[in-house]
Amino acid sequence: MSALLNAEATPAETASHVLELRQVSKLFGGVHALEQVDFALRPAEIVAIVGDNGAGKSTLMKIISGLQPNDGGEVLIDGQPVALRRPADATALGIETVYQDLALCDNLDTVQNLFLGREEARPVLVGGRLRRADMEHRAREILGRMGVKIRLLRTPVGRLSGGQRQSIAVCRSTLSDPRIVLLDEPTAALGVEQSAGVLSLIRRLRAEHGCSVVLISHALRDVLDVADRVVVLRLGRKVAEFDNTNHDLNSDQLVAAITGVRS
Amino acid sequence: MTVPNARTPATALAGAGTSAPPSATDARGRRHAVLEAMAGRYRVVPVVITLVLIWGFFAAQNGDFLGNRNLTNLLVQIVVTATIALGIVFVLLMAEIDLSVAANSGACATLTAILVVNHGWPSGLGIAAGIAAGAAIGVVQGGVVTQFGVPSFVVTLGSQLILLGAILQLLPGGTGQVSLFGTGIADISGTYLAPAVGWIVALAAVAVFVLLQLGAARDARRRGLATGGPLAVLGPAIIVAVVTVAVVAMLNSYLGVPLPVVILFALLALASYVTTQTRFGLHLYAVGGNPDAARRAGIRVDRLKMVAFMLAGAFAALGGILAASRVLGVSSSSGQGTILLEAIAAAVIGGTSLFGGKGSVWDALLGALVIGSLANGLDLIGAETVVKYVAEGAILVLAATVDAILTRGSIFARGGK
Repeated sequence: MSALLNAEATPAETASHVLELRQVSKLFGGVHALEQVDFALRPAEIVAIVGDNGAGKSTLMKIISGLQPNDGGEVLIDGQPVALRRPADATALGIETVYQDLALCDNLDTVQNLFLGREEARPVLVGGRLRRADMEHRAREILGRMGVKIRLLRTPVGRLSGGQRQSIAVCRSTLSDPRIVLLDEPTAALGVEQSAGVLSLIRRLRAEHGCSVVLISHALRDVLDVADRVVVLRLGRKVAEFDNTNHDLNSDQLVAAITGVRS
Repeated sequence: MTVPNARTPATALAGAGTSAPPSATDARGRRHAVLEAMAGRYRVVPVVITLVLIWGFFAAQNGDFLGNRNLTNLLVQIVVTATIALGIVFVLLMAEIDLSVAANSGACATLTAILVVNHGWPSGLGIAAGIAAGAAIGVVQGGVVTQFGVPSFVVTLGSQLILLGAILQLLPGGTGQVSLFGTGIADISGTYLAPAVGWIVALAAVAVFVLLQLGAARDARRRGLATGGPLAVLGPAIIVAVVTVAVVAMLNSYLGVPLPVVILFALLALASYVTTQTRFGLHLYAVGGNPDAARRAGIRVDRLKMVAFMLAGAFAALGGILAASRVLGVSSSSGQGTILLEAIAAAVIGGTSLFGGKGSVWDALLGALVIGSLANGLDLIGAETVVKYVAEGAILVLAATVDAILTRGSIFARGGK
């Protein structure tokens, strides 16, 4: 087992963490969905959270995205304690979330989905007309920068492929220039080739935007491919943490930690 | 200005660039491509074909059907249905329903009539009060739907009965009716624009449309986006101009453009602009397409739904007042009869989806034309009421079936069948 890191962070280290969870817990009717979990994210780091069903991955993600506030422990951004009570709190702190269901409107096109809730429009007094051309122009820039190829920007996204839809959702998360992007099972519904496309998007989130990425995934192959560090949860507790900076981790080690069965 | 050229919001003008149905490039089979085109920007085609078939049938039966007198009557007849249906479109876009619009229209028309006739209010003020009351009723219904999570079907069904009760309560004992003869409200229906005025209004409308179209094309060119060539930019403008000129010429050859028709088209044009060109309109479609996504994007879903119900109430009230103007009064039959079915049917037949997020305000006009042409034609050839009911009911079920097939067969197919 390569490196089971369980060190208490020193003050200097804490300041260098864009996000840190300390002893975070979440209770659902007396059951610990999460129990005293520590988690830290450094700038421009890609960290994967893995675990079996019910391990607490989604709960952890919901805490960070502000969907479900934590019951115990604290959340720090840049070493400062923060309260994440609703999604808007997280967004204001530079945390964007790409949900597994993508949260796209199938009846709207790529440009409309990218800018949903942040449309550019002329002042209401002069008609409030949407700046469609400006948005389409920017959409091309954003997609181009992330290496996404969608030819038909005016086609409802319901008609696009799963990979294209996932790409739109990821690209949308970059619009607010976030520091942290959370991705929930981004490759779960995708084929091999499309998964590879999304993994390259994740790398570009870091390369182009300097984002730190938290990746929640069942797909161990993808995790090993893209993550710098892998955190393993089991039954609401953090049971292991592996360094994968050199991409030398193998899936047997991960499976052993996830299932709790020593190989 | 009667032709919607695209079905997705904010692309109605700006999106004129793509000339081929986008899905046709996917090799998923010809049938699928046709389905998708019909579900998307060409949703209007089957509706127009239906309309042409109906017109052809009745024209063959009776030579007067396509005469300027009957066509003028037809347009006047559909104003009430189309106005109420216009409000219904907003509610349907949110995947909600409002079954109280007919009763609402009757109640608000009654209120207006009583304020003007019995209390001596000026007509304009009385009309404003009626529309405000309709809007308020809509807001209350929307509030119950959004704040307590009661299905709109039930809320509006209940308020329909309440409002029918309110009409009986408002009407004076004795006669049970209020005559609007000689009031400003009655004048609305009796007013026809002088031919020259009709032309000026029509040309102004076409000019506004062309300017908006050119503005979008200029923006696109400035940003280096494809505009699809001059035909894609001017095509819709030419269609709108030709249809407008034809309609006005026809109306002017009889009595002129009726004021209620002007009111209807002005509202349609305004609603079309708001739904396709503004942030508010886009958010309406977003909420209808995926309420969760809209909420996560920061859109206030509940507030938008309440606005949609408010608009449905306001348009219903206006429709009721226009109906009262036409029959010169209100009575216990105001808001009763087939008007509810016809208004909802008009929106659905026109192509607005019952499943939310898809449709256009012009559907209200097209659907009302289909229903109105059926009713008018059947009257003209002396068909019995039975035939009328069966024909209208059948075409509504048919339109809803087409909607279900198109919705499941294309855009939302991913959402599970």
